[in-house]
Amino acid sequence: MIKKVVLFSLISVSLLIGCSDDSDTTSSQTSTTVWEQKSQMLTNWVDNFIIPNYNNLSEKLSEIETLSTAFTSNPNQQSLELVRSAWIEAYKSWQYVEMFNVGPAEQSFYNLKMNIYPTTTEKIEALIASGEYASLDNSPYNSAQGFPALDYLLYGVASDDSSIIALYSSSPNYGSYLTEIINRMISNTNYVITEWDSYRERFISSVENTATSSANKMANDFIYYYEKGFRSNKIGIPIGVFSNGSQFPEKVEAYYNQNISGILALEAINAIKTFFDGNGSYSLKQFIDNFATDELANLSSDISAQFSLVQSNIEALDSNFANQINNGLNQINVTYDNIQTGTVMLKTDMLTVLQIATDYVDADGD
Amino acid sequence: MILKINNYLKRSTDSSKLAVFRICFGLMMLFSMVRFWSKDWIHTVYVLPKFHFKYYGFDWVQSLGPYTYVLFVICILCSILITIGMWYRLSIILFFLTFSYIELIEKTTYLNHYYFISLLSFLLIFLPANRSFSMDAFFSKKHYKEIPQWTVDCIKLLMLLVYFYAGLAKINSDWLLKALPLKIWLPSKYDIPLIGETLLQYEWVHYAMSWGGMLYDLIIPFLLLYRKTRGVGFALVLFFHAFTAILFPIGMFPYIMIISALIFFDGKTHEKIIALLKKIIHPLTSSFKKVTLETVTQFKYVRPKWILGTLVVFFLVQMAVPFRHVLYPSELFWAEEGYRFSWRVMLMEKIGYTNFKVVNKTTGNSFYVRNGDFLTDLQIKQMSFQPDMILEYAHYLGDHFKSQGHKNIGIYAESYVSLNGRSSQQFVDPEVDLLTQKESFRHKHWIKTFKDDIKGF
Repeated sequence: MIKKVVLFSLISVSLLIGCSDDSDTTSSQTSTTVWEQKSQMLTNWVDNFIIPNYNNLSEKLSEIETLSTAFTSNPNQQSLELVRSAWIEAYKSWQYVEMFNVGPAEQSFYNLKMNIYPTTTEKIEALIASGEYASLDNSPYNSAQGFPALDYLLYGVASDDSSIIALYSSSPNYGSYLTEIINRMISNTNYVITEWDSYRERFISSVENTATSSANKMANDFIYYYEKGFRSNKIGIPIGVFSNGSQFPEKVEAYYNQNISGILALEAINAIKTFFDGNGSYSLKQFIDNFATDELANLSSDISAQFSLVQSNIEALDSNFANQINNGLNQINVTYDNIQTGTVMLKTDMLTVLQIATDYVDADGD
Repeated sequence: MILKINNYLKRSTDSSKLAVFRICFGLMMLFSMVRFWSKDWIHTVYVLPKFHFKYYGFDWVQSLGPYTYVLFVICILCSILITIGMWYRLSIILFFLTFSYIELIEKTTYLNHYYFISLLSFLLIFLPANRSFSMDAFFSKKHYKEIPQWTVDCIKLLMLLVYFYAGLAKINSDWLLKALPLKIWLPSKYDIPLIGETLLQYEWVHYAMSWGGMLYDLIIPFLLLYRKTRGVGFALVLFFHAFTAILFPIGMFPYIMIISALIFFDGKTHEKIIALLKKIIHPLTSSFKKVTLETVTQFKYVRPKWILGTLVVFFLVQMAVPFRHVLYPSELFWAEEGYRFSWRVMLMEKIGYTNFKVVNKTTGNSFYVRNGDFLTDLQIKQMSFQPDMILEYAHYLGDHFKSQGHKNIGIYAESYVSLNGRSSQQFVDPEVDLLTQKESFRHKHWIKTFKDDIKGF
């Protein structure tokens, strides 16, 4: 009996597959298989976003290295301005990389070593004084390194530019620490880039729909970055969303610089937008378009529109978020609300379309 | 009429039917518990969380922390005892109690088939499943050849109810007219060999499977009941459940239903199964001293009226409970008032995003809660679209923050839910202070009205 059932099933299935029209499929908008579409998406992500963006960051970090060497050997206003500019450019290109917490970056806790803010100045000062930097390998010292540490070292370490220059001239310890931080950022980034050479193949070939497959991890990371790295860290926490009536302007990104928190946020939303759209090739937008139910047919354009709205909100804010918080809290609150509307769309509507597998426990659609 | 009922109650059938069922049930439960343990789910579901969602009226069920493993050990031992039919009455009662207790600890793991197991094990307490081919029979030196027909029919009736109500639940406009949620789920299974990129992507297949699933559920108990259609019925059972096991992460459910369907077969088939089992365990038992068992023809209950009365009440309740949702004005799939315990299986794709705002009513200051500080990922996922859990969690947060010194606080939920591929809608009224709302059987007016309509049972 069982043999009959199996045979019957195989025959019927083959007939059904053979006799069906390709134009009936949900994925037929591109008449490629789902597998092919996902492969395209993964390849696009790696070759047009992940690897080029890391390389771009690496170049910018080398710039900082060159100019910081020049600064520490000859501290003056001009060399200080130059190294600062290089830092700003690198920080901007960092925004295009922070969302990729997969593979080598995930394994090496890369993000945690590059951009934990606010930075803990006490730890930095302690390490500078001791001259011993081994602690930087340990996670409690994640907040004493990376871009936020450079922010402090280049802008916050003394009360004005001439004091900063004087400090670097008189205490070689500061220069050593500056060099150490930059070296670590470069080697951490190089590690990730090198590993991606071999990881690329693994990433692109993991096309199946399981909890740990590439597309699912990347989609989860994208959403997590939008909600945490972008929404909470840059704006939510500083405006006091989680803290009962208090604001924390000192917790904005690039606090000591006092000018570019808004600019960095603009780069970030641009990074988010272009990743979502795919920049001319297959990404989340196309996937949503191909697989959304009728009721969600406009989802991808709604999401893109929301991102654009957030972008224009941020453009209208003071580029120094600390100022904006102190002098115009309402406006940045509105920006936050618009970002949050986007979060809702990503975490309910988009997740419905993406159907990311999870493996918590058994489920019966309850 | 009374005569007919009396005659029916006097009918007897082969005792091997219940023996086989008991053995299969015991083995399934053993496997199920061990599997759950091996995936480390005891830890993630029962030990790790700081807070557990409880069932209404069962707040007193304490989580046992690491001692939950002890409960599982007891459950596993009972399942072994049930399988070999030793100290049956004790072990089935203990199994029912421990299994149900485990389920009552955490509401976010509610599954229809766990509820089914609780019901089935309760039913088995009253049935003479250890009167043949069991250690109890061996020790009592009595082997009963026949048992009352109605004891076997009880199990068949339970199966019928489960399938029939599941089928009834599939008669709704989303399932039949829009092929939802299969239309969302099936295309995402593109990585299944052969059918993934082909059949599962076709819209007509989504509709065929929706209608087919509904018809299967409604018809299968009747196909199994009648001898002439039983073979086809069982073949369909195998096909349907094997297929769903491949498609969906539903755990033990398909296998439990396949094995349970054996109860519909006749005495001869069950005797053959017993003979097969005897052959398998022969190497183990051949060293035992041969004991002759007195063969008694028919098992009779000492106090049948009490048992029958209990079971009648049991089944009446089972027939009524799935319809309780008609007492509520809300959309069933949306507000889920009366949704559980009704065999509504695989009917919804529902994703929520729910955040809680704690407001100091004196100063007007507020802050949002990070759910990850209090709940596991599974809990967050389940809580965000089930109103009773939203309410329970809100009260937990209220107690927590009050204990931290916050005074005069209100808790408000900002909640959005997407149901069966519709655009997300606001789920809970964000102006209602959930701390002022109490859990009860009454309708929760703070659930926002669903901006659509799903017609059906």
